[in-house]
Amino acid sequence: MGAKIEAKEVTKRFGNHVALSNLSLEIGEGEIFGIIGPNGAGKTTFLRILTGYWLPSSGDVCVDGLSVVKNRFTVQKRLGYVCEQPKLYTDHGVRTFLRMMGELRGLKGVALDEAIEQAIERFGLEEVQRRRIGVLSKGFRQRVSLAQALLHDPPLIVIDEPTVGLDPRQQIELRRMIQALGGRHTVLLSTHHLREAEVCCDRVALLDRGRLVQIATAEEVEMGGTLETLFLELTEREEEKP
Amino acid sequence: MRFLAAAGLVTILSGLGAYYATDELSLFSIANLVVGPLLLLIAGVIEARRFQGFTGALSRRVALRWGLISAAVLAVGLAATLVSRRWDATLDLTAERRYTLSDQSRVVCKQIGTNRSADRNGAPPQLLLLKDTLIAKEVRLLIKAYQRTCPELEVREIRTADAPPEAQAILDAVEVTVLACQGGRCEPAGFPSEENITNAVLRLSRRREIQIHFLVGHGEANFASQGKHGFAGLAGALREEGLHLEALVGPAMEEIPASASVLVIAGAERNLLPAELEALERYLERGGRLLALLEPGVSTNLEPLLGRWGFELPSGVMADRASSPLLEDPKPVSLLLRAYNPFHPVTRKLSNRTMLLLPSARPILPVRKPQAGDALEALVFSNRSAWLETDVVAALADRPITPDPEEQIGQELPLAAAGRYPRDDGEARIVIIGDRDFASNRLLPALYNRDLLLNAVLWLAADEEHISIRPKAWTPDQDPLTFQQTLAYFYFLAFALPEILLLLGIHAWYRQRGG
Amino acid sequence: MTRRLWALFRKELRTLFASPIAYIVLTAFVALTGVYFFQHLLTYNRLLFVFQSEAIGAGGFDAGTVPLQVNSLNELFIPASNDFSLFLLAVLPLVTMRVFAEERAHGTDELLLTTSIRPWEVALAKHLSTYVFVFLMLAVSAIYPAAVVAKSRLGMEHLLALYMGQLGYGVAVAAIGLACSSLTQSQIVAAVLAYAIPFMILDFTWLHPVLSEGIAELLNELALQSHFDSFARGVIELRRGIYFGGIVALGFTISVGSMEFTRAR
Repeated sequence: MGAKIEAKEVTKRFGNHVALSNLSLEIGEGEIFGIIGPNGAGKTTFLRILTGYWLPSSGDVCVDGLSVVKNRFTVQKRLGYVCEQPKLYTDHGVRTFLRMMGELRGLKGVALDEAIEQAIERFGLEEVQRRRIGVLSKGFRQRVSLAQALLHDPPLIVIDEPTVGLDPRQQIELRRMIQALGGRHTVLLSTHHLREAEVCCDRVALLDRGRLVQIATAEEVEMGGTLETLFLELTEREEEKP
Repeated sequence: MRFLAAAGLVTILSGLGAYYATDELSLFSIANLVVGPLLLLIAGVIEARRFQGFTGALSRRVALRWGLISAAVLAVGLAATLVSRRWDATLDLTAERRYTLSDQSRVVCKQIGTNRSADRNGAPPQLLLLKDTLIAKEVRLLIKAYQRTCPELEVREIRTADAPPEAQAILDAVEVTVLACQGGRCEPAGFPSEENITNAVLRLSRRREIQIHFLVGHGEANFASQGKHGFAGLAGALREEGLHLEALVGPAMEEIPASASVLVIAGAERNLLPAELEALERYLERGGRLLALLEPGVSTNLEPLLGRWGFELPSGVMADRASSPLLEDPKPVSLLLRAYNPFHPVTRKLSNRTMLLLPSARPILPVRKPQAGDALEALVFSNRSAWLETDVVAALADRPITPDPEEQIGQELPLAAAGRYPRDDGEARIVIIGDRDFASNRLLPALYNRDLLLNAVLWLAADEEHISIRPKAWTPDQDPLTFQQTLAYFYFLAFALPEILLLLGIHAWYRQRGG
Repeated sequence: MTRRLWALFRKELRTLFASPIAYIVLTAFVALTGVYFFQHLLTYNRLLFVFQSEAIGAGGFDAGTVPLQVNSLNELFIPASNDFSLFLLAVLPLVTMRVFAEERAHGTDELLLTTSIRPWEVALAKHLSTYVFVFLMLAVSAIYPAAVVAKSRLGMEHLLALYMGQLGYGVAVAAIGLACSSLTQSQIVAAVLAYAIPFMILDFTWLHPVLSEGIAELLNELALQSHFDSFARGVIELRRGIYFGGIVALGFTISVGSMEFTRAR
């Protein structure tokens, strides 16, 4: 299970500003892959290109060999996206929202009902399922966001900064949920919390100012000490270059 | 930049606002309408310089594609809007189908087509709209109906100053907005209703002069009288269709002129002189055409003459229990008729939905052919509930009448009849209608009275191609709610309905805020 | 596809009616049309009374003493139809301003456009739901004239034609508003544009003094104002439908195009 991702020299420019520069990487099936970097490193840009929301200026990303530029809608069927700061329809009830998202993803009938029930159970939404999203806490909103991304059981889950604004307890809960997704799904996790990447991910790519600085495996992370040390080392080395 | 754009927008809107409010292009409006677009232009240029462009070939391709699609949709929309001016279909949903041309207009259009095929070099008739006059929107819609239904009729919009010379005399004399012109002749349409426009075209396209002579001197209908019981309306209707009218003083005449296409004897109340009768007989023998309107309760020496031409004219008046409720003073003798001879040209276009209203009528029975080869036919029949009342005096004096045992109900007697008499000198034609007052000013416009009468005249004048059902005068809706009803609706609808909607809105707002 | 479109359509309606703005706009429109319609009705009643009183004073009342031009169509329905169209112009931008701009400002478009939904489907659902709202507004306001028509000779078919014109006009104004909304994140900018553009293309007679007759006539064909009058007179003309349809098509294309532009930037 899971999807294989291959980014080929992806570049995204906004006028003179280069948000992403020649990014190439490969992510294996069932892997939990982290993208870390400081603010403005190009993490969200890459995720938006991967999900087909933005077009790259050049290069391409393939999911299971399918180009996101040429086969955007087919690729989108294979992924679930959890946006940064969960962007949800606050005037919808939880259940109504999940039903709509399921329908938009092509689910119907019994399959849709089952998917909704499973998602509600899996992410502990039973007590809030009839409430409007607008009145939920941030933690619950993040769970609803995850639930909608998993409704159609996609091979690829793309998660952007999932723990921003959550209290420590909610952060721990959410990380456990993400860890549980590995194996069955390929998970691409963008974060600027190093601890989060260290705990959740099999491999981590470090981005800085649009460039890929290094990719480290879990073992490398362990050998080099904490990811925090590696992060500081790499970014300092980059800064020392003429 | 944003300030400049906003300022440009405000300036344009102020200029337009001033124009709409005052309905004139003042200096204030002009200044604003010049400065506003300039500000927008400057803002646009600045913004364009800041624009970072679509970076990358993929982005540029998407931008170009959608730019082109939007431009194409705009172009197609503009083209379709302009093309559809020429090619248009309409649906007339007015209660009286005011913008759907009547049978008469269609007949006239067909006749124009026939005339054109016969004379290919002749100029087609034109409808000229004087665009510098006040043309009502209804008139424009009507003119469009002519353009759709009558492609042979050319429609042109011109300025009064550009009107052809033959129209200038009319324009100097009367105020018109629509003229019909053809081959150096113009006819004004008067108030530009369908009836008037079609009649203007009809007058132009009529290829033959038709002279209608009215016999006077025996108490016949007064064709100059404008009163309720006068017949000026009938004279006007005949003239409107391009027929020429002339009075023929019976006692003074020696011979009915050969130029008389049709002789009308509209309800003579006194006997004709023997010389007149002889002249009439001679006129018919040489192929003359006669329309006789006979009043019930009036007997003259015209009747034996008509009897010799095959008609039996029993004395009496038709009475009907279902007397017309359309009259101010309904009496059993007033009749609503709807049974016609469907084969005769005069009545072929009338049906049970096109009724006649006769204030009182006598039967006209076409009983025998004077010669083999003659053809006599009934045109209009009484209803099944009618009977022939022999006590004419009582019936016309509005005294109570009931059918006597010998007065059979449901005979469906003819109340109008026509005859054709081919003779060596030409074909004589006679139409007799058992009532005169149905053609009076008061009743001529009622239901289809006018159509029966004018179609009878046209058939007699051998102008069958113009036999038609004419457009009905539009009845405006002038009786809305009473003052009390208006107030009641006002409170219920103008207050209660918004109130309910507002309450729903407050509920929605509360839900959104409070969860 | 239909199922997805239906889901999007319901979502749009739910969002619309979850906010009080829809009810406020509906209330404002219904109240304005109600008050103005009955003002015209009262004025017309008084006018008839004046004519009839004069006839009585002149020696007796008889049918036909009220001039033909004074009738419910000319004095009531056509002026009311003109008022209704102005009210549509006044209230519709308040509804359309948020449709695309709000989605973009809240970032929920990112959620939608990564679910394999086509941008045209999103735009279509938004356009259709707004047009349904326009229809609803007009349907509720139609109760007033219908109450009068039920008691008159004008005929429901004529009223239907009048409202078809209002609907075409309203939908065209809404399409312009939606296109404006799709071009910006700011609801205020969207509203200002949605007021400004229809106002500018309402009527081009102000340009006539500086234009040749042919171009002036051409521009007149493109003016919003010139396209609903025949409906009020009971005639549905195909070319008016083509005009309104053209504006709707353009508004829709701009909406889809602007979503694609955003992706390409």
